Amino acid sequence: MKKLILAFLFTGFGCTAFAQQTQKILEKTNIDHFYTCSLDLLLDSLSSNYHLNIVFERDSLSKFDLAEHFFNESLKAVLEKVCGDNSLHYWVESDGTIYILQNTDDLARLKQLNRLKQTKLSNIKPLIEEPKAPPMHYLFSISGKVIDQTTGESLPSATLRIRNTNLSSSTSSDGNFTIFNVPSDTCVVEASFSGYQTDYIRLNAKNINTELLFGMYKALNTLNEVTVLGKKSGVMNTDTKKVGVLQLTPASLDKLPNIGEKDILRAFQLMPGVGATNESSSGAYVRGGTPDQNLVVFDGFTIYQVDHLYGFFSAFNSNAVKDVKLYKGGFSSIYGGRLSSVTEINGKDGNHNEANFGVDLSLLSVNAFAELPLSDKSSLLMTFRRSYQGPLYDKIFKQFNTSTTQGGPGGGGGGPGGGGFGESTTPASHFYDADVRYNYRMNKTNSLTWSFYNGADKTDNSRALQIPSFLSSTTGDINITDYTKYGNTGSSIKWFSQWNKKVHSNTYITYSSYFNDRVRSTAGTSTDSDGNTTSFNSGTAEKNNLHDIGIKSEWEWQVNDMFKLLYGGYGNLQKINYSYVQNDTSTLINQHNSALSGGGYAELEFDPTSKLHIQPGIRNTWFQPTGKLYTEPRLSASYQINDHYTLKAATGEFYQYMNEVTREDIVNGSRSFWVLSNNSNIPVSEAKHYMAGVSYENDKFLIDVEGYYKTLSNLTQYTIRQTGMGQGTTNTVEQDFYTGTGKAKGIEVLLQKKLGNYTGWLSYTLADAENKFSVFGNNYYPADQDIRHEFKAINMYHYYRWNFSAVFIFSTGHPYTAPLSSYTITTPDGNTSTSFNISGKNALRYPDYHRLDLSATYDLIKINGNKIGSIGVSVFNVYNHTNIWYREYQLQNYAAITTDVNYLGFTPNITLSLRWK
Amino acid sequence: MKRQLLNRVLFLGLVILGLQACKKESTGSSTVYLPVVEGYLMPGHALTIKLYQQKSLSDTAKYGAAISGLQVYVSDGNTKVLLTESPKGTYTYSDQSFLAEGKTYTLQFNYLTYAVSAKTVMPGKPANFATQYGSVTLSTTTTSDPNASTTPIDKLTWDNPDSLNHVLVFDNKDGADFPLSSFGGNRAANFVLNTSRASYYNLTQATFAYYGHYTVVLLRVNQEYVDLVKSNTSNSTSQNLANIPTNVVNGYGIFTAMQADTVSFNLL
Repeated sequence: MKKLILAFLFTGFGCTAFAQQTQKILEKTNIDHFYTCSLDLLLDSLSSNYHLNIVFERDSLSKFDLAEHFFNESLKAVLEKVCGDNSLHYWVESDGTIYILQNTDDLARLKQLNRLKQTKLSNIKPLIEEPKAPPMHYLFSISGKVIDQTTGESLPSATLRIRNTNLSSSTSSDGNFTIFNVPSDTCVVEASFSGYQTDYIRLNAKNINTELLFGMYKALNTLNEVTVLGKKSGVMNTDTKKVGVLQLTPASLDKLPNIGEKDILRAFQLMPGVGATNESSSGAYVRGGTPDQNLVVFDGFTIYQVDHLYGFFSAFNSNAVKDVKLYKGGFSSIYGGRLSSVTEINGKDGNHNEANFGVDLSLLSVNAFAELPLSDKSSLLMTFRRSYQGPLYDKIFKQFNTSTTQGGPGGGGGGPGGGGFGESTTPASHFYDADVRYNYRMNKTNSLTWSFYNGADKTDNSRALQIPSFLSSTTGDINITDYTKYGNTGSSIKWFSQWNKKVHSNTYITYSSYFNDRVRSTAGTSTDSDGNTTSFNSGTAEKNNLHDIGIKSEWEWQVNDMFKLLYGGYGNLQKINYSYVQNDTSTLINQHNSALSGGGYAELEFDPTSKLHIQPGIRNTWFQPTGKLYTEPRLSASYQINDHYTLKAATGEFYQYMNEVTREDIVNGSRSFWVLSNNSNIPVSEAKHYMAGVSYENDKFLIDVEGYYKTLSNLTQYTIRQTGMGQGTTNTVEQDFYTGTGKAKGIEVLLQKKLGNYTGWLSYTLADAENKFSVFGNNYYPADQDIRHEFKAINMYHYYRWNFSAVFIFSTGHPYTAPLSSYTITTPDGNTSTSFNISGKNALRYPDYHRLDLSATYDLIKINGNKIGSIGVSVFNVYNHTNIWYREYQLQNYAAITTDVNYLGFTPNITLSLRWK
Repeated sequence: MKRQLLNRVLFLGLVILGLQACKKESTGSSTVYLPVVEGYLMPGHALTIKLYQQKSLSDTAKYGAAISGLQVYVSDGNTKVLLTESPKGTYTYSDQSFLAEGKTYTLQFNYLTYAVSAKTVMPGKPANFATQYGSVTLSTTTTSDPNASTTPIDKLTWDNPDSLNHVLVFDNKDGADFPLSSFGGNRAANFVLNTSRASYYNLTQATFAYYGHYTVVLLRVNQEYVDLVKSNTSNSTSQNLANIPTNVVNGYGIFTAMQADTVSFNLL
């Protein structure tokens, strides 16, 4: 009986056991021997003595001679010693074979050699065990989980396939999968995942009733695999069934050029349909939408502020992120509350097996993480990132903090960082973010995850002044408070439960808050010559904060191989406070709004044949401020014509209950805040999506063409404008609400080379986004984010341990409004007033935006082939092209002076990334 | 086969690019020829309308070129009068009795291909305009008081039961001769304040940049005038630029009626 269990355990782990066995042999076997021979002979003797399959190139290795005495050292230490001495690497494949490599790229050649050798000896070691017994069970279902063997982390979106059949499935975000109608209990299940070695399990009468566990080993870092997967098609991937989905694995982000930080949201901007030319916002401009129409969900909670440093970086630390998906539109009824798109980010659980530490250093920030297995059942992941005010930080800070640019000769603006920043004090400024994730596995089918995020940007220019006595007859202290702080705090507790093979659920309690404070005040005391002390306080304080508490439960029920039901419910309480106080006394704006909302969704994934997938869904939300029930029908479908071609389409209705607002402030920079829809002047906005596409995919290439058309209604432009009239007066605040409509359409083309030393993709988007607000006239005008053509070329070249990349981005300029002429009239007080005659709204366009970014990364590889880090150099905007952000107009001597405010010019950066394990 | 497909995709892309490149975007630039109107209608003063051309952005001249030789009419609802031009670009009608409370005045003229018009209603005369103090002397203690911006030094009052729009015009007879503070800056000696439909206004030390003998004019004005003075595009960016409101059809500027009352106020 015991033997049976052992045998079962062995088969349960499948071929991962081979690699483990080899590792065990390497660690447990001790060698006490004096070798004087060439390296190839040593390997031969180890191979035959310890029954290891060691593959190497005899020609080159026979040149290395060896004279070494090993005193009771482990086989692993021996291998490391001899490889290290001769600048070689060894690598253990999941089938247990050890490869001796001069270069990591040799692996493919050696693998072929190994196959040849074994064929010649007609001694093919079976990779998968032969079936032990004739088939006994037919047409049953299996389920299981795919994890990383070394860290224990679950792998989402891995592909499972029953060999020699069309049956396939892919793992959920928790790494779980189910396959129905498995023909017999002698089949082989194959698990594959980008960046990992393919793993196999032979089914038998026993293991079909248990949870199959695939422990995948990382693949040797040789071939450049495309990390951003456009909708994958083909038999094996359920992504075929989705339209407009982009997926990204942050682990490979260091192969793309970066300025300072590996950035997950910036990486998405390299794909078609996502705007890449807004350096001042890392938010997603998806298919003519704006960043506030993009829902960002991190471990179940909504993030309201996705930017660091004026939008140049996204608020997410790639070291804390396991997997990111961007739904470009027509998304599933699981998501709601936004008009345009959804970015779903799942955090890492952390290493379950051993502690791991790492650090990334760049000219901009320090980024450290720790992964700690606390017990058999729990693990902890912590990351922390903080910028430091080095030259790169200052350069970007000044570029985007242009409030000090004043005057100067007209015409072309100065180059980046060039002149115009005559600040006497440089404010202290930094950003930071921290992630903590604690994962507790109660048992095989239940787990709890606590996730916490906190991040903020702070700029502080506060200072104390002493009034010099010679300037006035009074003395005293003045404290100038001048700071801007904004950030997010979010947390969630997730309970995952696998109720049975077919049903699992994720239940969340979420909390998210956002704050954005700007305080500029002068306070202090003054003492006059008679000794009378007066205290004073003047200035403005503008504070916006948002709290969002929610609960939601998401269920998945795989009824059979044809039907899968997704359903769930949610409830939220959102509170927004916005106060704008002047001189401590006059409150210009004081708003406290709250909204309860709740609802449910249901969606059916229906696969009448293996080629056709239909997914209808419905989402119902009750929103308390309007007291109405909002129903959002959704539908997506895909049809696989053959192995290469897939057709897909999606449509749906979407509502949004809160908007981001801009308070225009010309002198100090505009500020953004969130406001809730209500029953009066801010309507609930609505969008309808229609999208369709066709994709072609073979082993090496992917071509994907998608088109979309969207209509938007009840859009709100809500501006808060300070209107000061005359001098010495108290400012008044005027709130303007404009309601309008919009439409967006476009075609996206993606051509991707997926494999080989040279990989990359070309992306072209032809798009049009228009708005109509009656305040700007009765016609549609180009929306602020409208871009006609956008072309992006991402090229990556892999050369041994080097990775080179070149990213070229071209886009039509953004539309803008400009003064055409000016006129002056006399006012009744005898002064004059000069005004601009303005062009049609957004009637002009800036010059085309384009830039080239380059990077080179050198991988640091341990002797056993594991990548432990990289050193990278990258250059942003290589040919220093002047890209215009916006234009400023000032009147001087009755003439208008135009100043261009530009985006970042030529900027180099160096990054060093190190991992303990 | 693959290559063919690729070629087709690329070709299609080029065709689309080419088609789009031919599309010209309109800037609506015809508006630069519209005339600029400056007309303040006050009973007791001759009706005067000034007409200018717009200026190019780089023009440093104070006003645009005068528009001359037009037939400019103003109607009070019953009578339509033709204004006479003198000097160039200034059109007047000298009969002061033409302007009276409660009447609606319409300006009309043709310029280039545009039929330009504007309309305004003459408001009533402000009543009981008074100042709390005729004269205020600032001591050195008060000039250095940091709370000066919020401590009232005088209160101006008037009747305003219907919450009508009023503005205050400060005219300093001494000009910019005696600045209040050595940090004076470049504030103008004369200025306008909006009273936000109230019936009083508290003057603080921060209201003034200069000592002097002020004539304070209370003007009862129409909304079109408040809209004009409230907006200010002289310092803007392409992100928030918007046209200044005007009540002139096929033109820019202002054609508005107002009535005044005056007090004196000395800041010594």
